[in-house]
Amino acid sequence: MTPAPTPAASAPEPAPPVLDLTRLTRRYGTLTAVDDVGLRLSAGARHAVIGPNGAGKTTLLNLIAGTDRPDHGTITLDGTDITVTPTARRSRLGIARSFQQLSVIADLSVLDNIVLAGWPHHPKRRGAWRSPSRYRLHTESAGRHLETVGLADLAHRPASTLSHGQRRMLDLAAALAGNPRLLLLDEPAAGLTDGDIGRLLGILGGLPASVAVILVEHHVEVVAQLASSVTVLAAGKVLVTGPTQEVLAHPEVRDAYHGTGSTAGPGHARGTGIPTVRPSATEAASVTEARG
Amino acid sequence: MDLLDAHLIPAVDGVAFGLLLFVVAAGLSLAFGTAGVLNLSHGTLYAIGAYTGAELSDGTWGGLALGLAAGTAAACVAGAGLSAATAPLARRGHLAQALLTFGLALIGGDLLIQFFGADELPVRVPEALDSSVTLLGHRYPAYRLCFIVMAVLLAAFGTWVLTRTRMGAAVRAAADDPQMLAATGHSPRAVHTGVLAAAGALAGAAGVLGAPIIGPGPGTSETVLMLSLVVVVLGGLRSLWATFFAAVAVGEVQTLGVSVAPDLAPYLLFAAMAAVLVLRSRFAEPATAHGPEGPAPDPVARLRSHLAARLRRRPRGAAGSGAAAEAPGAVEAREASEGDRIVIAPRTGRSLLPAWTGRLPGGAAWRQAAPLLVLLVVLIALPALLDAYSISLAGSALALGLLAVSVTILTGYAGLPTLGQTAPFAVGAYATANLADAGWTVGPVQIVLSALAAAVFSAVVGPAVIRARGTTVLMITLAIGELTGAVVNQLKSVTGGADGLVGFPATRALWGGEGMLEESELYNYALVVAVVAVAVTLLVLRSPAGKLLTGTRGAEARMRASGHPVGRYLLVAHVCAGALAGVGGSLMVTVQQYLSPADVGFEIAAFALLAVVIGGTTSVIGALLGAGLIVATRDWVAGSWPGHGPLLLGVLFVATVYVLPRGLAGLRSGGSGGGSGPSRDASRAEDQPPPAPLSAPAGKVSP
Repeated sequence: MTPAPTPAASAPEPAPPVLDLTRLTRRYGTLTAVDDVGLRLSAGARHAVIGPNGAGKTTLLNLIAGTDRPDHGTITLDGTDITVTPTARRSRLGIARSFQQLSVIADLSVLDNIVLAGWPHHPKRRGAWRSPSRYRLHTESAGRHLETVGLADLAHRPASTLSHGQRRMLDLAAALAGNPRLLLLDEPAAGLTDGDIGRLLGILGGLPASVAVILVEHHVEVVAQLASSVTVLAAGKVLVTGPTQEVLAHPEVRDAYHGTGSTAGPGHARGTGIPTVRPSATEAASVTEARG
Repeated sequence: MDLLDAHLIPAVDGVAFGLLLFVVAAGLSLAFGTAGVLNLSHGTLYAIGAYTGAELSDGTWGGLALGLAAGTAAACVAGAGLSAATAPLARRGHLAQALLTFGLALIGGDLLIQFFGADELPVRVPEALDSSVTLLGHRYPAYRLCFIVMAVLLAAFGTWVLTRTRMGAAVRAAADDPQMLAATGHSPRAVHTGVLAAAGALAGAAGVLGAPIIGPGPGTSETVLMLSLVVVVLGGLRSLWATFFAAVAVGEVQTLGVSVAPDLAPYLLFAAMAAVLVLRSRFAEPATAHGPEGPAPDPVARLRSHLAARLRRRPRGAAGSGAAAEAPGAVEAREASEGDRIVIAPRTGRSLLPAWTGRLPGGAAWRQAAPLLVLLVVLIALPALLDAYSISLAGSALALGLLAVSVTILTGYAGLPTLGQTAPFAVGAYATANLADAGWTVGPVQIVLSALAAAVFSAVVGPAVIRARGTTVLMITLAIGELTGAVVNQLKSVTGGADGLVGFPATRALWGGEGMLEESELYNYALVVAVVAVAVTLLVLRSPAGKLLTGTRGAEARMRASGHPVGRYLLVAHVCAGALAGVGGSLMVTVQQYLSPADVGFEIAAFALLAVVIGGTTSVIGALLGAGLIVATRDWVAGSWPGHGPLLLGVLFVATVYVLPRGLAGLRSGGSGGGSGPSRDASRAEDQPPPAPLSAPAGKVSP
């Protein structure tokens, strides 16, 4: 719909937008997964995208990250049109992402995973492919990222031996390793234990203020804690956009999101898309408290 | 009108031929799409039917009916046996199954020759049909017209079963979602067996009925397999109608094409196949990216959106090219002087945490290098131990070993299982032979120029290969290999055609030397070249560049999202692997001192892939050992049991797939040292199901 500025409470003066989406549309055959979506993010924005399963959230992230191309509309990063830029180049321009379907290189060590993720962004990337000594330089910064997510002790284990929660953290570290300007998080809390979610909140809360974040998440708790603004998608369309507390209190959102989520949740709980089933009671309470 | 008149008979022949291919290919497509088995022994099932039919044919209708029943039943039983053989491998992916079926095809082919002899068997069709009818003023064999009718009936019956019966519904459900099928109370195992048995029955029936068209002989199974693979690839596993049109098109190319443009026909088939594959993998690309959300878009919309995206993407090419900076350049440009360091150095830095040293205590680095050193010592000592013939075999094994190593790079590291590395191998081989003929007999010059030629070739065909993943790559590379084979047979001025090349001057090891004629001399030359080539390969694979490839294979989406130009890496890997194969081809010519198309044919491609699987897919030394084992089996052991080389190789294939699921490297990795690959765990790549083929995700057979 209309571009929605995100006046985060912490950013008083209107910064130039990092990301600007205009009239973004993606169709698969007769299904319109993303329908005429507009969004504008300033540096340091913490924006969440929520909505029921199949609302087009992941497709939206794929369009921004470049793994999918829109049928209509434009994507602008820092004033440059990147609508048709390949994924790898977008990454080098500063867009990083985590994956809903976990994507770690099982054959390599945890550390190597992060080294590879940070490689194209490292100041000494030239020649690292043939020089083990230069490659070793990369391991230092990779080690720091592993410490951030709490995997430093496992640095030399093969990534295939990690648990689900650890793989999530590894995926997150891989996204952070590129020192992005825009971080796309696709359900980072899916399948995590309460303790892991707590750590995740800590990590994301500690991100540099200059990094803009788009968070796709089913856990309302996580959204409420991290995001200063929220877009609700339903059937590919923007239902509402605005500050987090207002949006979460919006009656239509409560219908479309909570309603769908809590009734359809158990039936749709397939692997990664485990929405509002577990935390519904406590979460609703915490949200209402925060609102009231 | 004259033109039409002249080509009427070939055109009708083409329909008959196409229908025959359709019935065979439908079985192949059913087995691949539904049971997930890329059945390289499908041609053998046809041959079983054809031999049985020919043996029982006595010129009566009863003979034909008896042959049909017996041939169909025999092939059906063989298909069920195939199901039992492949079912335990279902979790190991398409490659293991394909190799197993290829091994069974070798064994089956050998047994058929044992039973029925090595000559083509004559077929006696019923007397009523053993005449010709007049067709628009031309005489035409009545049997072929009758065959067209029977094939149509067979095809219609198959389609009816698949689309209108509960059984067919179960089969289609198995193609879509086997777990869901299991949940509804059907046993996927039973469907698996049933599908392969039915596919066998189709092939057998086609064999009996088609025996007068493609007669039973030693080359039958390969011809039928190749043509029906082409049909399946062209038809795309999506619908029976597409397969049907593809089959008739292939039939027409094989008959009408040969009569209209005899020189072009061989190219036409595989060129069309390559073109279709490339196109399809391109416009199928976005479909796999969007994941589970949304239904599969229909192909036309996908093509349209793809074209739109293409048009929009065009201007970006100029702007984005600046990103080429960190592309790994010429990988060959490595100094061999670092060799000792790489072999000994542990793979990861010691700066951060000492865990590697924890895993590799003391002389572990030596333990890793030890197999290479032992192999080297044995290879150096060989000339003193063996007779002249065996030494020249060892030289060929080294050449084949380099080919296998190049397949390892692509299959094990880049994740592109290939059956087409014989193409750059052939380019290198014919380049060397022609260079020698032109008077360029200095070894290093031949090697470098052959490698260059093969690299250029690989760079040209690379974009077609690196677009696809999984089994589609097998098919594309197969097409490339076959197309190259067709060119080799046609370009007589360069390649000598089917006669091959012989009598070119011997290679000189260095400038100013004499031409090498002694076997041991040639062997030593081959050994030096191979050692240098393998050392360079190991250096590159163990350097961080190897990790880039491993990462690309392991998590391509992550690599792209982290900013790696994955396509460029794969292309560079493809070019380098091609250059290595070219070196192998050059060596083979030098060692053998003759060159025939069989040296660069499909069998060699399958052997190279087997060598790699024997070795454990990511192990360079394993690939070398595998190549040695294959040459020893084919030429050395088989020497004491003449004529049974294929049987022994088939047994080797089958045994490898069952006994060594992780190859020779798997034997070692029980300890702490790890294989010769970049990582111990990499050898498990084949244990996991391969990435879904891009063009035909778990192909469907629903019309």
